[in-house]
This record gives sequence, structure tokens and C-alpha cells, in this order.
Amino acid sequence: MGTGLSHRGEGKTQTLCAHCGLPVPGSLVQPEGTPSFCCSGCKTVYGVIRSAGFDRFYDLKAVDDERVDVPANPKLVTFAEFDDPDFLEMHTRVVDGARRIDLYLEGVHCAACVWLVEKLPEMLDGVVSVRLDFGRAVATVLYDPNVVALSKVARALDRVGYTPHPFRSSDRRDLARKQERKLLIRLGVAGAAAGNVMLIAVAMYAGADEDPTVASLFRWVSLLITLPAVLWSGRTFFSGAWAGLRAKSLHMDLPVSLALVGATGSSIAHTVMGQGHVYFDSVAMFLFLLLAARWAQLRALRTASDASELLFSLAPSKARLLSDDGVSREVPVDSVVVGQRVEVRSGESVPVDGVVEQGQSRVDNSLLTGESVPVSVGEGAEVHAGASNVSARLIVRVTATGENTRVGRLVAAVEEAQRRKAPIVRLADRVASVFVFVVLLLSGLTAFVWWGDGSEVVVERVVAMLVVTCPCALGMATPLALINALGSAARNGIFVKGADTVEALARLRHVVLDKTGTLTQGKVSLTSFEGGDGLLEAVAALEAQSSHLIAHALEASAPAGAAERHRVEDVEEVAGGGLRGTVDGRRMVLGTVAFLRGSGVEVGPEWLDRSSRAAERGDTPVLVAADGAVSGLATFGDPLREDSLRAVGALRRMGMTLGVLSGDHPAVVARVAESLGMAKDEVRGGVSPEGKLAAVEQMAAQGREAAMIGDGVNDAGALAAARVGIAVRGGAEISLATADVFLTRPGVMPAVHLVRGCRATLRLVYRNLGISLVYNALGASLALAGYIDPLVAAVLMPISSLTVVLSSALARPFPLQEGPSRLVAGVAREREVPA
Amino acid sequence: MTVVFVLLPLVVVLAAAFVAMFIWATRDGQFDDVRTPQLRILFEEDPVTQAEAPLRGGSGEKERS
Repeated sequence: MGTGLSHRGEGKTQTLCAHCGLPVPGSLVQPEGTPSFCCSGCKTVYGVIRSAGFDRFYDLKAVDDERVDVPANPKLVTFAEFDDPDFLEMHTRVVDGARRIDLYLEGVHCAACVWLVEKLPEMLDGVVSVRLDFGRAVATVLYDPNVVALSKVARALDRVGYTPHPFRSSDRRDLARKQERKLLIRLGVAGAAAGNVMLIAVAMYAGADEDPTVASLFRWVSLLITLPAVLWSGRTFFSGAWAGLRAKSLHMDLPVSLALVGATGSSIAHTVMGQGHVYFDSVAMFLFLLLAARWAQLRALRTASDASELLFSLAPSKARLLSDDGVSREVPVDSVVVGQRVEVRSGESVPVDGVVEQGQSRVDNSLLTGESVPVSVGEGAEVHAGASNVSARLIVRVTATGENTRVGRLVAAVEEAQRRKAPIVRLADRVASVFVFVVLLLSGLTAFVWWGDGSEVVVERVVAMLVVTCPCALGMATPLALINALGSAARNGIFVKGADTVEALARLRHVVLDKTGTLTQGKVSLTSFEGGDGLLEAVAALEAQSSHLIAHALEASAPAGAAERHRVEDVEEVAGGGLRGTVDGRRMVLGTVAFLRGSGVEVGPEWLDRSSRAAERGDTPVLVAADGAVSGLATFGDPLREDSLRAVGALRRMGMTLGVLSGDHPAVVARVAESLGMAKDEVRGGVSPEGKLAAVEQMAAQGREAAMIGDGVNDAGALAAARVGIAVRGGAEISLATADVFLTRPGVMPAVHLVRGCRATLRLVYRNLGISLVYNALGASLALAGYIDPLVAAVLMPISSLTVVLSSALARPFPLQEGPSRLVAGVAREREVPA
Repeated sequence: MTVVFVLLPLVVVLAAAFVAMFIWATRDGQFDDVRTPQLRILFEEDPVTQAEAPLRGGSGEKERS
């Protein structure tokens, strides 16, 4: 949620923000020669960077052609909770007298960001070093606690535009990193073994084994190299096969293990006996290729699962605790207990559930309920953690903290829903268990057919069978197709967290959408104004005296500084009605038709008509009267995103049935749905977060499994319960932890691309399985007939792998939207039409 | 051909040494982040004199833990 305005694309020559490069709204454009900014955040950051002498940042930005423009959004808070001893204990480690902390940084998007963040030691004494992991936007900061406080480090990062968040579970991250390193080492060992054994094998095929002593040496050296690779690197497959057997299922690792054990065993026997074939080269290569596929898959999935850790990073971590004498101090939210009082300043989010004890304000519950309109709260009103306090200071008596808050309970429900979700039986697994059974059967058959020829021949034939039918296509091609899909999706700003999501999404036929923040922009703004700029300015000046949310919407659209240029007097606000006051001596009344009439203003049929038409559109009309006569009409609403209509149409063309579940008022939801042509679909408004979860589960129970697209905390439960949950960025990043897919571009259109890509990927997987099954059937029958010895099998096996690997690598499941290939295809289609 | 009796064990030892180096580098975390180093190459500083060099922290390949 940027502080910037989102007007785009008006006017021919656009002024671009001097910091982030996004278009600058007209009212903020500065004269030639002076830098213009899209928002106050960018302006602040630009000032800090310039004054520190880091102008090179902007040169570096120009170098990076893949950058995504992001307006800077510094929070400009104190980060005092970063200095709390408990906080330091939880998030930092002591390293040689200094302290180390991993911080997730918001807003990291280009090479220049890395440069600027790593310049921190030059800006701040006491910071020893900063290393930024660009892919994950995680900075590892080493600082000297005796020289500089952590809060100061956090403030410095925030003021150059990268708001830091601590990782809550550094232990889990360490564990994941260790696992990944281990797999990489296994892969490296297998690769080194494969390379070296292959060199020896080539020498042997070339005739080096004619001399029996040399041949024996080569075999023993090959054995020495291969054995540790099989025993250690191959353990992944052995344990997978064993676990599968114990669970009484035929896992794909089983034939892999059997082939490994069989080929290695017979090779060792032949080496010891000094006669017969050895297959160390094929064993090592086989192992290496399979591990490579596994490792690549793990790596591709990591980016997305890292993003889910953000749930814990972005949750409010501090509270302002009030002591009895009325002094407030910042403490970690975990240390607040029920019965204490906390202060919530304007613009902050509420850290706990509680009852307002003092103060009058409005709170924005949109994260929690999806309502786009903030509600007024006064003494005795309940407020919930996660809501944000919009207008004035509140003192809140704590009634629940942490897991007992409404958000906490919701998160618990989400976890419960995730647990209940049946694990998907993946296509590859289903095929694998049949496949494994067939392979084992064939091997048994081979052994039976050749039984009479002695154990030597039987072992050779069976190993040939196992190697030639090696499920490489299953073991490699499917992961490769998925990695290819996930990789190109990530380049398009779509992060998929699990490989099974691709398959699930390709099969789904139902999509449930959230309204606020997903189909719409998620904030109230001025949608139209009739009556001229002068009147708008006067209205804005008058509304500036009010705390109503419409005032905020006007503030964003009206010319800057309107409030200062006009003399506003005698302001009187009537709740649920409107506003009266004098602006520059003119008597003005703003509000509903009834309120204007009540204030003695004649409302003509023309204005009545316009006003009711606006209401039919789903907007809130506000009539403007000056000196006793109606002279204008302002309408407010939560406007649709530009691409929503197109996205809804595209989803329907793909054969999806659509539905809307929203927490907003049913009438508003119905109108939005109608304007998107979804009147006939299942559209429900006024649904609580728990209700959304229940609705999605009910659909699943009726056999209509759905993908849920949403953005807020209120969608989190539904996102978790849905077969595939798709979180849209732009609203709450908090929902992405529970989602299977995370879209970094706002709106529904990326989801359309995602579904399209997933379907293309599934077709690719089918193609690969087809190729390999045909290939294996051919190989198996030849092996059964005894035409293939293990050596030929080992040569044939990589050829089949190569076919499917090429087939996977050449596919483009997610074409870039404006790519040349698409353009060419379009031209070709156009040419065909006239013929 | 007898030379292979010397060379082959030597090669195996050499290969083992490289594998050991690879294992060390992986455990050291040098493959944890493979995206940022390719960007850092852009950050070439103005020529730094020898005397100044040790004072500049952070931008060099100091400190990984």
C-alpha cells in the first residue's frame, strides 16, 4: 500500500518520479529542473540518499533493465522495540563481540538496492558489515552493540526506503539452509564420481581393458569412486524407498534403489571375480542426473516458501504500554498481558484485542473483515489486533493478546484448515506406483525366463531391465517441466509454493474471488465530481475539518493545499448525514439528499436523478450546495481495478465458474459483480472470515473444489482451505503465508496467466510421460527378449532422459505477455483471416 | 601403460581434494546466494589507495559466517 496516488497514463508527456521512476500525478509535478516525486515516501528517501552523497544509486538503477518500479514507503517510526532485551535475545546472535541479525527488507527490487543497503556501514558508525541476499531480500547485518543501537540501524534502513522486519524463526531458516547445503553436497559428490568414472569407462571402451592388470586396476578404481557416491549420495533414494515400503506403497524411489543396488552389487561381484561387465559409469551418471533434478526443484520452490515466512515478519511486533502514571513506552507485543493499557496512535495498527477506554477515532478493519469503509469507535467499543487506527489517539484496555486475539484465532483456524486439506496424489506418483509394479513384474518375468541360463545371466538381464526401464522420465522430466514452469512464473511475478499446485490449478474449474483489494482497488476514492475545480477545492477545504473517511479520499484527489487557501468557519457535522460550514463567506452544505433538504436546500429532480444513478452504480453520492442551491455532486467508491473485467472474461472463457465472497456490504458486492458481468454467478456479500472458510470447505464437500483469490487477513482461512489459494499483493501481504501462490502484481490478471501456464505445463508433463512410457515399453520388451545387455541399456537410458529433458526445456508455459513470439502469432492469425 | 598405476591413484586423490574443497565451500555458505554476487560486480568503487582499503568494510568480500 503505497502512499502515492495511482493515476496513470493521462497526458502524453509524463513526469517520472526522481526516485522510483513511476509516473508523477499532475498535482505533484514540479517545474523543469526541480525533481518531482510520486509520493512523500520517495521524496524523503531521495533527500536522505542525496545528503549522504550516494547519488551513484541512481546511476546503478539505470543499469538494471529488469527492474520493477516500486515507490519508496518509509514508515518513519522509531523501531524502539528493536532495542528490547527480549527482542535481541530472540532475533540476534553474538558473533565475535558483535551482534548479527537477519532482517527482511521491504522494497528491495534492483541491483542499486543491493549497493545502497551494503553502503550502510559508511552511513552509520558501529555497523560492521551488511550483506544483502537479493533473491530473498534478506540482509545480514553485523553491528557493534556498544557503538550503535539496533533501532538506529533499523531507522537508517527505513529512511533509505527499506523498512526492516525481523525474522521470527531464525532456527527454522538455519535448518532449511542446512538441508539445502546437504543436498548440494550430495549432488556434488555424485557429479564428481560420475565425471571421473566416466573418464575411466571411456578408456575401457576404447580398449584399455585388454591388458587384464590394467582392466583390474580400472575396475577397482571405479569401484572406489562409485561406492561412496552410491552409499552416501544415494541414501536419499534408499530412505525414500524404505519409507514407501513401510507405508505399504510403491514409491518411485523403489525401482531407482533396486537399479542402484542391483547394478552396483553385480558390478562389485564382477570386480571381485575379475570377469563380467561393470556398470559403475552408468550407476554414477544415473545418480547424478536424478539428484540434479531434485536439487533444482528444491531451489525453485525455496523462493516461494521464503515469502511465507513474512507472515511472522510483518505482524505488529510492538505495543505502546501505558504505565499507571500515563507514560508510554514501546515494548514487544509478546510481553503485554491482559488488563494492561496500551496507547495506539493515529496511523498505527492495533497490537492487541481490547476495549477502548479513552479517545474517539475510526479504525480500518479491512484486513480483518474486508470492509472498505473504516468504522467509528469510541469509549467502550471493541477493537481488534490487526486493525489500523486511522484518525486519532486511542487508549485501549487489553482483553486478549497473541494467539487469543481474533487474528490469532483466525491464524489457528487457518493452520487447522491446512492440516485438514487432503494431500494431493500427484499424477507422477499415481503413474509411478503403477509403473513400479509393472517394472517389478517385468524384472521377475525376466528372471523367470532366463532362469535356466545360470545366475550370471539372470543378474545381467534383470539389471538390464531395471536400467532400461529406469523411471528417468518420472524422476527427472516431471520435476524439470515443473521447474521450468515455476521459473518462468517467477519471472512474471508469480510465486508458486508447491509443485503440486501446478497440477491442481490446471484441473480446477471453480474460482472464488474476494472483492475488496482483489477485484477493486481496496480504498475509497473520489470516482467523479460534477461542479468544477473551484467548487471541488472549497469542498475539500470544508471536508478537511472533518474526520470522515470521505475527507481522506478528497485529500488525495483535490489540489494540494486547498485547506490552507480557504477560510473555513462554523463547521457542523451530523453523523450519517453530512457537513455544514462557511467557506470564504459562502454557506456550504454537503451530504445526503435528506440532509440537504433538512438544511433548507431545495434539491431539484435533475440532481435527485443523478444522485440515485450514482447509488445504483454502487457509489456513495454526496451532494454539494453553496448559498442554498445545489451546485455539485461528488461520488465516492472503491473503484474496480483496470484489468478486472478482462480477467473475469478470460477466466470464464477458460471454462471456469466464478463466485465472489466478500466481507463488504451485500448491495455493494452485488453491484460490483454486476458491473463485471457476474450477475448470474454465486455472489455473496457480508461474509465473515470464518464464513468464507466454511463456504470454501462446503464447496469442496460438494465436489466443487475451487481456487480462492484474495488478499486480506479475512481471506486467509479461505485461502488455506481452498484447493489452491492465490494471494494478491496490494492489500495485506499477511495472507500470502497461507496461500499456495503469491502474486506480486496486483489484480486478477496474473492469476489468469497462472492458470493458463499451469494447463500448458500439465500438457507438457503428459507428453513427457507418454514419451518415456513408449520408450520404456520398447526397451523392456527388448530386454526381456535378451537383446539388451546392461551396457546397451546404460547407453539407451540417457537418450530417453535427453529426449524428455529437451522436451521440457524447450517448452514455454508462461510466454511473456508482450513478447515477440506473441506478436508474431497475432500477425499470423490476422493474415489467415482474409484468405 | 604402467604409468597409469601411478597416475590413476594420483588423479583419484586430486579429485578427492576437489570434492573436499567443494564440500567446504558449500558448508561455508558460498552457494547459499547465487544471485547477488552477479550484481555486486557492478559496484566497482573509485580507485582506492592501499592505505584506505582496510577501512572500507562491507563492500568487499569480508565476513561471511
